[in-house]
Amino acid sequence: MEAFWAGLAALGDPYLILLLVCATLGGVVIGALPGLNATTGAALLLPFTLTMEPVAAISILTAIYCSATFAGAITAILINTPGTSASATTCLDGYPMAIRGEAGRALGLAVVSSTIGGVFSVFVLMLSAPLLARAAYSFAPPEYFALTVFGLSMLVSIGGGSPIRNLIAGALGILLATVGTDLLTSVKRFTFDSPHLYEGIGFVPVMIGVFGISELIAQATRLDEKRETITMKAIKLPSREDYRRVWKTILRSSGIGTFIGILPAEGATVASMIGYNEAKRWSKNPEEFGKGAPEGIAGSEAANNSATGGAMVPTLALGIPGSPTAAVILAGLLVHGLRPGPTMFTDQANFAFAIFWSMLFVNLLFLAIGLYGAKLFARVTLIPTQVLWPCVFMFSIVGAYALAQSMFDVWVALIAGVVGYFMRVFGFSVVPLAIGLILGGILEQRLGQSMVMLDEKWWLMTTRPICLVFFILTALALFGPMIFKNFKRNHPDNEASA
Amino acid sequence: MQNVSKRTDWLVRWLVPIALILFACAAIYVSTTFKKMPPILKRGIQPSDFPQLVCGLIIALSLLMAWFDPVRMQERVVTKTWLTIALMAGFALLVCIDLFIALGCFAAALSALWGERRIGVLAGVGLLVPLAIFFLFDQAFQVRFPRGLLTNMWYG
Repeated sequence: MEAFWAGLAALGDPYLILLLVCATLGGVVIGALPGLNATTGAALLLPFTLTMEPVAAISILTAIYCSATFAGAITAILINTPGTSASATTCLDGYPMAIRGEAGRALGLAVVSSTIGGVFSVFVLMLSAPLLARAAYSFAPPEYFALTVFGLSMLVSIGGGSPIRNLIAGALGILLATVGTDLLTSVKRFTFDSPHLYEGIGFVPVMIGVFGISELIAQATRLDEKRETITMKAIKLPSREDYRRVWKTILRSSGIGTFIGILPAEGATVASMIGYNEAKRWSKNPEEFGKGAPEGIAGSEAANNSATGGAMVPTLALGIPGSPTAAVILAGLLVHGLRPGPTMFTDQANFAFAIFWSMLFVNLLFLAIGLYGAKLFARVTLIPTQVLWPCVFMFSIVGAYALAQSMFDVWVALIAGVVGYFMRVFGFSVVPLAIGLILGGILEQRLGQSMVMLDEKWWLMTTRPICLVFFILTALALFGPMIFKNFKRNHPDNEASA
Repeated sequence: MQNVSKRTDWLVRWLVPIALILFACAAIYVSTTFKKMPPILKRGIQPSDFPQLVCGLIIALSLLMAWFDPVRMQERVVTKTWLTIALMAGFALLVCIDLFIALGCFAAALSALWGERRIGVLAGVGLLVPLAIFFLFDQAFQVRFPRGLLTNMWYG
């Protein structure tokens, strides 16, 4: 309880408040710009946070995460282009509402739903993360290894790529993590006698490359896309009738989004899709969906914002990222020398609660920003691509350099950018690569520790109940969709209909 | 045109998994050159064990991909994309002279390549933004940039 209030007291620092306001504004701009999203924004900002205190640095990254996830709705509603992939489902009803002259009402619904979803998930985070961490306190290296394997298995369903390709990208990330001096034995691996590689390949330049520079290259193919901006007189709060219509949807989607966020590697995009589908399924007027149904916006936005708090639960409590942006935040924690996991709620409890409170503050802050500034932020979509992306490139390069003040990191970012672009071209998602790079070192370390503990008899892991549960969950995550599909195909009802 | 597309599809379907398998095989070969630790010091696994395990997984998954999940190009790589990548290569060469000269030239050239024709905008992107970034990082974040033609003038 002491840490709970100490965390709140950290928000009394005017410098931190100022940083959070700036980060929230920056996050809204990033989220509103098509092509840039919370993950890219956090990856680009990560090097700039290195000189800051850990609370300020991680608070800024979470502020970017929350506000950019919300801001994707602005462009989704006004120009039918989701600022972030998590807002893709918001387009379906937001844009039709904007076309019929209700852009202000649609944005008002999006802001309120996002805020309620975000606040709900932060409360769940505050309650569940310490409990989860306490449960994980009894974990030994084999349990951690099994947990990390389970976290990696969830890569099959993220990023929009196919399961096999996601796993390949994740495995490539893990292989990259083995470059450098092995921490257990001090043996140099894949360094080719280059001193630059002795400390391994840094997360930050790779993330800047795969999320920032590869997106820049991808933008070259989208230069001819035309966007039509809907004019909006003023943003307005939803009416009592609107609230009566959407409150159940907001609560349902907040629960769904938080739960999806807690699942390792699943993020706001999956949450918004499920939130939207469930809103449609439970609606009395499902035929209105896609034509401007307020429940569609509420279902999508409450779910994608609640996934942000949910995603932070496994990130902080277990050290397993709950989403791509949480992976960048995890990298930030590691770069600052913080070790996410159960000890975070005992040794660094004040830090953890300061992060929770700052997330809550940011969620309330973007309510104000969204209501009074959405009209202004919608104008950032008018920044020409020809100006925006050269600036993003310059920030990417300087950000990659600034971390270790090494030109080697600039080359890594450039190569990662080109490789990331071609991965996208061939249908591979870059998110598993980044998560594999972060978790690869931890996975190997835990495997090594487990082997020592179990006297090199790895099969003894299956005799430990928690390990067994995680391995079963891993098998279900990997093969479940295939088995379910097969079962569905062979089901008598389906055969009869065929 | 359709034949070309089919041929490209066929090439991509097989070339990507083959490239991945060759890469993994090369990594396995390199990993065989890692120093072996005596049993007392190896701490559970040899340094080469884990990378070899991951490479084996990449090979197995690539084979599965080749048969069950053929790779297809998601989007056509247009000329402007190749030119953008070429500009990046140019940036990498210009960095030898000065990082900020390279950044400014790249930014202005990219902006022009993507269709910007207003001289004022090009000058802003190629001159003012790099200068602003330099002073922001130099003064606010105390970042010391690599020495070059311009940075030498500032650092003395």
